[in-house]
Amino acid sequence: MKTVLKNGRILDPSQDIDLIGSLVIEHDQVVEYGKKVDERGAVEVYDCTNLWITPGLVDPHVHLREPGEEHRETIVSGTQSAAAGGFTTICCMPNTNPALDTPSLIDFIMDKAASPEAGGVFVAPVGALTVGNDGTRLTDLAALKKAGIVAASDEEHPIQDSAVMTRAMETCLQFDIPIMAHCDDTSLSAGASMNEGAYSAMLGLKGMPRSAEEIMVMRNCLLSLHTGCQLHIMRVSTWGAVEMIRQAKYLGAPVTCEICPHHFSLTEEAIGEFNPLFKTTPPLRTSLDVDMLIEGLRDGTIDCIASDHSPYANYEVQVPFEEAPFGMVGLESVVGVTLTNLTHKGVLSPLETIRKLSSAPAQILRLEAGSLKPGETPVAQVCVIDPEVTWQFDVTKTFSKGKNSPFQGMPLKGKVVLTICGNEIYRDARFDARRLAGVG
Amino acid sequence: MSRHLLGIRHLDREDIEELLGLSKDFKKKVLEGRPIANGKAPVVGLLFFEGSTRTRVSFEQAATYLGYRVSNFASGASSMSKGETLKDTILTLRYERLEALVMRHRSSGSASFAARYFGGPVLNAGDGQHEHPTQALGDALTILERKGSLEGLTVAIVGDVAHSRVARSNAWLLSKMGADVRFVGPRTLIPGNVSMLPGTVYYDLAAGVDGADVVICLRLQRERMEDGQLSSVNEYRRLYQINRHTLRYANPGCLVMHPGPLNRGVEVDDMAADGDASAISQQIENGIFVRMAALYWAFQDPPAKPAKASAKAAVQTGKARRKKS
Repeated sequence: MKTVLKNGRILDPSQDIDLIGSLVIEHDQVVEYGKKVDERGAVEVYDCTNLWITPGLVDPHVHLREPGEEHRETIVSGTQSAAAGGFTTICCMPNTNPALDTPSLIDFIMDKAASPEAGGVFVAPVGALTVGNDGTRLTDLAALKKAGIVAASDEEHPIQDSAVMTRAMETCLQFDIPIMAHCDDTSLSAGASMNEGAYSAMLGLKGMPRSAEEIMVMRNCLLSLHTGCQLHIMRVSTWGAVEMIRQAKYLGAPVTCEICPHHFSLTEEAIGEFNPLFKTTPPLRTSLDVDMLIEGLRDGTIDCIASDHSPYANYEVQVPFEEAPFGMVGLESVVGVTLTNLTHKGVLSPLETIRKLSSAPAQILRLEAGSLKPGETPVAQVCVIDPEVTWQFDVTKTFSKGKNSPFQGMPLKGKVVLTICGNEIYRDARFDARRLAGVG
Repeated sequence: MSRHLLGIRHLDREDIEELLGLSKDFKKKVLEGRPIANGKAPVVGLLFFEGSTRTRVSFEQAATYLGYRVSNFASGASSMSKGETLKDTILTLRYERLEALVMRHRSSGSASFAARYFGGPVLNAGDGQHEHPTQALGDALTILERKGSLEGLTVAIVGDVAHSRVARSNAWLLSKMGADVRFVGPRTLIPGNVSMLPGTVYYDLAAGVDGADVVICLRLQRERMEDGQLSSVNEYRRLYQINRHTLRYANPGCLVMHPGPLNRGVEVDDMAADGDASAISQQIENGIFVRMAALYWAFQDPPAKPAKASAKAAVQTGKARRKKS
């Protein structure tokens, strides 16, 4: 079957392409794109005027919760949510129960993700760095790599012992595995539930000092610099962390980092009267941090955007603030929030926006994704975005099992209307009217 | 309609004046033996998840004087110990047709959480390290009785400010009523950023107490030593104890207050706790009358006010002031 996406704005950051034209998909592959394409024999032709045609988006940081926490999310529901968010490749985190610390668990993830009822996106597992994320004993990283992990991480249980982290880096360097690190000195942040500062003092909540994040960012950057191991720092939230990563890059350390939409969109003030939907780690910080994070996005210190999609059951979130878990869902709001708060405010151009959402994370984790170039990806991975449509985010209508979103009810500008990963895996009703009659 | 008493931060000056006025009326009636019951006898649930003797007894006494009925829940005996969530416990009490809920819980923000699910008024009897509004009201009534007014007084709150709900509630109340509030204590026990709290910070006791009309001592919890936030009890005693020597810096007739329970000989010595300047026993007694006022007030319709975000406005009265000493 031949499909033509016609007269859209084609944005392919992997080739620095930004042009108005059409894109042709045939036999699950992108076959050509450009100002003038061969439409003969097309079964489906869609008018994409004023829409963006981009590579399928790539999310380096998603919690699918399976195995063990299926009441929060499953591989099926999580991948469906990803498809609706415009993603065609996602990395799933190893802090499941049990942790993803053996090859058989990696096989399990890949099988489930490939099942017909799943959302049809590629799932690239991130393996546990230590057994059971215990922070002491390294997993069999070579075997995990062979099973298909694209990176290793201890996620929410960051390795505290610098000697263990050094050995982890040396091992990962040997087997060419990037380390994804959540940076938190838990001796400083234990028992805390929000940013340490004026609001935590007012609300009587124990605060996480910014130094808890920055100490670990600095340590991990130094270990990366000295071992040569590729390091990807997850969800930066403070201006100090961005500054340290900037310095590490300047020194030549193989370091990259990501930011979550909530960290560049919200501040600690949003917690208001103890609203647990705004509880996350690292915590929402201050407007100064947001300004400096945006500067980091602009100057390229922050490489990519990740949802840190962290679904929970309602009953887990409907508890007093201090007892609530950390994290929020994100897959289906990333594009809207990013376009609203970055692109439409002139922080990032459309091409740079899409770079941080697709080709940059694909390059960091060496995924076959994030490009429209024919043959570059196993099957066509394409996302169509309506950048101008205004809509209200309604988490009750999302595919994810988790409904814990801080963006509930928020007016957003920009929405995914079509996702293709080989086949069409998501279509917004708004896109139906784009079908051109009489062709085919 | 009814209203919650979740914290002093959420009240404006008129609310506080109304509550203190009611407290005075109730105190007068009780001391004169005049009848108070007004025909209504709502059932008030007392839900205490944290150990408390004085606050619970005080609420029970207040309800008794008002002719309200009380239903007691202790956390150990409740279904919470069987794994029920707090939300379900609150909903159960709602459908048991309790008409008001007095709650103490270890978690900051738990009172506003309860108010989200309980239909009637919720009165915060202490939520974590956030607020303890009826304690502050009792303290304010005591200061009013002894000093005649709150306006223009200098009040030093001394000790573990960072972990104290009493400190927060008192600071909000006294500053909203025109007093000058100071937070005095070691750096490890004062929040690093007090720009959203109404008070000036002093790390030196003599400077902090200098010219004070009232000193409120906070209880020093032993776990602060275990956490390494204090080196030793002796060190704290030497640097921050309220006694006749340190009180010499204060204004003559300076009141000594303490929310209890006291660590005698640590944050306050016998002379200060039992001397003429002490208002500690009066604080306890006044606790009953302000809780009568709070229970009564909670069942009244709030007066029509011009629309404004009162919590927001209140927050903005907190000023960034920090003094090096």
